Amino acid sequence: MKKIVEINNLSKSFSFTVKNKSAGFLRNLFSPESRTVEAVKNVSLKINEGERIAFIGPNGAGKSTTIKMLTGILYPTEGSVSVLGLDPTKDRKKLAYQIGTVFGQRSQLFPNLPLTDSFEFFGVMYDLSKSEIQERTNELVSLFDLSSFMDQPVRKLSLGQRMRAEIAASLIHKPKIIFLDEPTIGLDVVAKKALRELLIKINKEEKTTIFLTSHDVGDIESLCERTVIINHGSVVADMATSELGKTFVHEKYIDLLLEEKMSNYPELPEGIKYSEKQGDKITLSVDLRKHSVSDALQKVLPFFAVLDIDVYNVDLETVIREMYEATKA
Amino acid sequence: MKQLRLSKTIIIMMIRDRIAYPGRLIVDTFGIAARCGVLLILYWYIFNVKGGEINGVTFQITSWSMFLYFAFMTLRLRDLASSIMQDIKSGTVEILLSKPVHYLSYRVWWQFGAGLYPFFVAAILGTVALTFLVGIPATMSSSFFFLSLVGVFILSSILSLLIYAAVGLLSFWIEDIKPLYWIVDKAVMILGGSYLPVALFPPLMYKIAIWSPFGASQFITHTVYETWKQSYLEMFGIQLTWIFILGFIVTVMFSRAHKKVSVNGG
Repeated sequence: MKKIVEINNLSKSFSFTVKNKSAGFLRNLFSPESRTVEAVKNVSLKINEGERIAFIGPNGAGKSTTIKMLTGILYPTEGSVSVLGLDPTKDRKKLAYQIGTVFGQRSQLFPNLPLTDSFEFFGVMYDLSKSEIQERTNELVSLFDLSSFMDQPVRKLSLGQRMRAEIAASLIHKPKIIFLDEPTIGLDVVAKKALRELLIKINKEEKTTIFLTSHDVGDIESLCERTVIINHGSVVADMATSELGKTFVHEKYIDLLLEEKMSNYPELPEGIKYSEKQGDKITLSVDLRKHSVSDALQKVLPFFAVLDIDVYNVDLETVIREMYEATKA
Repeated sequence: MKQLRLSKTIIIMMIRDRIAYPGRLIVDTFGIAARCGVLLILYWYIFNVKGGEINGVTFQITSWSMFLYFAFMTLRLRDLASSIMQDIKSGTVEILLSKPVHYLSYRVWWQFGAGLYPFFVAAILGTVALTFLVGIPATMSSSFFFLSLVGVFILSSILSLLIYAAVGLLSFWIEDIKPLYWIVDKAVMILGGSYLPVALFPPLMYKIAIWSPFGASQFITHTVYETWKQSYLEMFGIQLTWIFILGFIVTVMFSRAHKKVSVNGG
């Protein structure tokens, strides 16, 4: 499969001045102290054409900074980036014709004008002819179901409608790769689901590679087949999303529905602990490095009179939270 | 060709945007009319006290000179500096830098487009009102006036945009450029003749107004004076020199500014 993004040892540091409380006003003015923060450290990554990749990490991990270096907005301090065979710092404009960007917290549409105007404007910006703009707008209106609010001023749209429109506008030039920075932020569950389905549709029908950052586990689970986790500027995991749980969490949960309510809970063997106690229902967490599930069941069942048993994996949110905590500085 | 089409589209979009908000236009026009009107009443009184002429300039000429200043102001080219600062502070700059456009040129056309509609409305209404109130001076009734007005309008617009672009681009380094913007803006207002018509300036201040880029960016106010015919070539030369100098500075600043981008919030 064709590689469309190649990042090698990418780093970015930001310098800023800080006030030295022990120094006087003039010293702070003319010779201020400066501090450097390494936002991204030696990140290396390859992305294939058509992939749907989640690039996640806690706040301040370096996700957005990486996206901004991939799109030519920020200049890397060290390392190399190649997107669609182009260097984003040297060929920013050339690259912009082939990529799409959506920054969830910022709008690129004209707030006072109807969506049709924004589509027309972006079409001109990407050098499409009048008929190409019309044709593509029609395609996107039907794909994203925008027809009911195409003529409304953008500021009158709901957040869900606006995000659909933002993504549609960023696809006007049929980009080969779309960078989405928290596209579902603030959306309700229905709007989120609709947006995820649309992104999968675009990925399948137009072969658009999707590079997404999000704090929403639902986005990652339902949309991305590969997840890269970044923390403190470095990549801490890069694998299939389905493998995350198996690799990083050595824990399973067992729900036990009891015949009667308990007030005195027996002490459990090492490696098995109470996760929740709710009278006639208890949840146990089992450390898989110490016990298999059957072994754990054999050890705990003699303590309880059980009506029903449920064994399950931790959810992706817990997996990710544990990974963030494990890689804390 | 592509750049021309994009510039035209930006201007059209901004005109549509301004038309979509007629209330803002009414407020802007009223604000300009009030400021210009108060100054004109004051000068009408002073000219009357002084026997109708000061420094060889009549109230009629003064009125038109000040009106040209205020009409030019409605283009709001000065807002370029605060637009750039807002882009940096809010992080909007990242959206524009991810598009196939030259950031500065995009912002310049945007600003120009945003001011064009209010400018035409204010210029037409003001011209009609002033024609009825004070009449048209002889200096304004020649084809030379109109041709040179177009020339000086273009050069003044370019120079104003360069001055405010230089101030705005500083926000890539110092983020909050308001104090500097305030100084530059007041220099333009004073040396451009918003409070006191340039013809009434004392000699030293008049020289500063002529030779500084701030005063030069408002040479449009000189077009109604009788001295305009003798001095217009020199003034065009001064404007072109400043355009060349500031154009170079802005180009160098912008090439360095992009490397300084550190978008707030990630």
